[in-house]
Amino acid sequence: MGSRSRLAGFVGAAALALLAAAAHAQNAPPAGTVVDGSLKGKTLTFVSYGGIYQDGQVAALKEFVDKSGVKLLNDGPTEIAKLQAQVESGNVTWDVVDTDDFPPFVHCGKLFQKLDLTKLDISHIPPGQVGECSVPAMNYRMVLMYKNDTYKDNPPKDWKDFFDTAKFPGTRAIDGSGSPLGGLIEQAILADGGKVDAMTPADIDKGIAKIKAIGPDTIFWKTGAESQQLAESGEADMIIMWTGRAMTAVKNGAAYTPVWKDWLVVMDQLTIPVGAKDTDASYALINAYLGKKSQEILTEQTSYSPINNEAQPKVDASVAAFLTNTPDHAKLGYQQNIKFWVANFAAASDKWTALMAGN
Amino acid sequence: MSQTSHTPTAGGDHPRPPGAVRAPQRRLRLAAYPSLLAMPALALLIAAMGYPLLTVTLRSFSDPSWGLQNYVWFFSTPVNVTVLWRTFSIAAWVTIVCVIAAYPYAYLMTAVGPRLRLVLILCVLVPFWVSGVVRTLAWVILLQDSGIINSVIRLLGFDGVKLIRTQTGVVIGMAQVLLPFMILPLYSVMRGIDLRLVQAARSLGARPARAFLQIYLPLSLPGVFAGAIIVFILSLGFYITPALLGGPRSTMLSTLVQSQVLSLLNWGRGGAMGVVLLVATFVLLALAAPLMRQRHKQASRS
Repeated sequence: MGSRSRLAGFVGAAALALLAAAAHAQNAPPAGTVVDGSLKGKTLTFVSYGGIYQDGQVAALKEFVDKSGVKLLNDGPTEIAKLQAQVESGNVTWDVVDTDDFPPFVHCGKLFQKLDLTKLDISHIPPGQVGECSVPAMNYRMVLMYKNDTYKDNPPKDWKDFFDTAKFPGTRAIDGSGSPLGGLIEQAILADGGKVDAMTPADIDKGIAKIKAIGPDTIFWKTGAESQQLAESGEADMIIMWTGRAMTAVKNGAAYTPVWKDWLVVMDQLTIPVGAKDTDASYALINAYLGKKSQEILTEQTSYSPINNEAQPKVDASVAAFLTNTPDHAKLGYQQNIKFWVANFAAASDKWTALMAGN
Repeated sequence: MSQTSHTPTAGGDHPRPPGAVRAPQRRLRLAAYPSLLAMPALALLIAAMGYPLLTVTLRSFSDPSWGLQNYVWFFSTPVNVTVLWRTFSIAAWVTIVCVIAAYPYAYLMTAVGPRLRLVLILCVLVPFWVSGVVRTLAWVILLQDSGIINSVIRLLGFDGVKLIRTQTGVVIGMAQVLLPFMILPLYSVMRGIDLRLVQAARSLGARPARAFLQIYLPLSLPGVFAGAIIVFILSLGFYITPALLGGPRSTMLSTLVQSQVLSLLNWGRGGAMGVVLLVATFVLLALAAPLMRQRHKQASRS
């Protein structure tokens, strides 16, 4: 019984495990494949946020619908409270739900199913984006846009400048449409001289205080359309915008320039609710959605970045300027500490709401 | 209602075929129970208002566990109390602005000829048919710093005024949305006022201002109160207009409820906020009721 035989046994076990993993992975057809007529007579309800975004998603799923024979119904906008009501009453009519960043983590296992990743091909999703209960639906970013007229030759270069109202006077507009902006609070803590590696809930107060210190004229916009309107009419000197909206505003003549350093990575998530009627069909939809071609269509129609790293959407220069997956943009991105914000979601939301309400 | 139903029996001395006698009797019986006629509305209210209200109230005491924790949370969180107070103060301002704007308008409606009156009514109703969001966005364009109002002010050589993202902006926008609810009750009351009473006062030597204050105004007060109550109560629940026209300092309670329920799934806390608002409104109306009743009596006496 030498150590050699033990080693051999170990190697053998490892090889077996690898084989098993490979066999497992084979269960999931490559992302984007659809079996002809596989879902004939079935109905799936896809829920997202409407507008140009959901239209693009439906276009991305067209091949899946045509080939599999499924009937695709659309609903929206996604509201977690509605989903909770469905799950509690045991009558879940939603099959695949597109949500924003945090809910799948906050309600994992309670409202959203833990995903069986053997049923999905996640090999082309950018690293670090698959959650226990979610895969990404698309990437976008919170981009800091500054008004050319206001800052001329001395524009803000990073978030420190955003918080420096002495050097860079002017009104700021911040995304106040929903969940707290973890990334922005982290940048506020950094601008305040703090550290974010070991954040505590007390740091949230510091970050929020820093945001509040920008002054009473801060605008918290409530909808993407509102942010676009602010840019197109030149109301604010710096605006935090979603890339899709920023691109459209610039196309419509808004004289604003994006700041690339530490753009905030944000994503939408795809989830399957607890109690969904036909989970296999839901998995099939998501797997088709993750495919190269679907992601290309999604980006071409919405300007949001694809989450399949092989996708090569054909877009014109104005759209390409706002994509987040080009190499020189990708390396400048700032990833918020999702774990921390999920663990402190309630406290952060209460404080964020109080900030919104002027307290 | 009962008066009109009595007429068939009053006219019963006409000869009738014997079979037809029962019909008026049945109609009479129905008239004796007017509450029966209210059944459809009552059923609808119970299903669409009563039951949900009961659930909301119940959940405010039971979610996540039985007790008063949601109410303790409400009153121990400064932002809630501030916003509750702000909600009532904005609603009061909107009501005042509506009364001031609607009163002369409604009076004009009673004073002009039928064709012009139709135009005036349309002016009230047409914006009423446009969605509130559209109207609010129109106000954004008018009120913003680079908007039409400020451009004109600057063109005239003055400094711009801050209108959007202030409480003033919210009050302006809400008052416009709610104006029909003030004008229509006022108009319906004013239409019933006999203008000869004012003439009589004038002929007895009252100056126009006095005739108005002593005769016309008291008679029109029921309309003012009816409109004011509708406008005030509707303002309390406003959501879109303060969100789009207001800044952080004009957030109203509905926004906080929305954030508790929709993003935090705290149905209990959201429910407690709703119940607090409801109870506060009832208390306020109960306090105002004796005053209104007295005015009403005075009005009907004169």
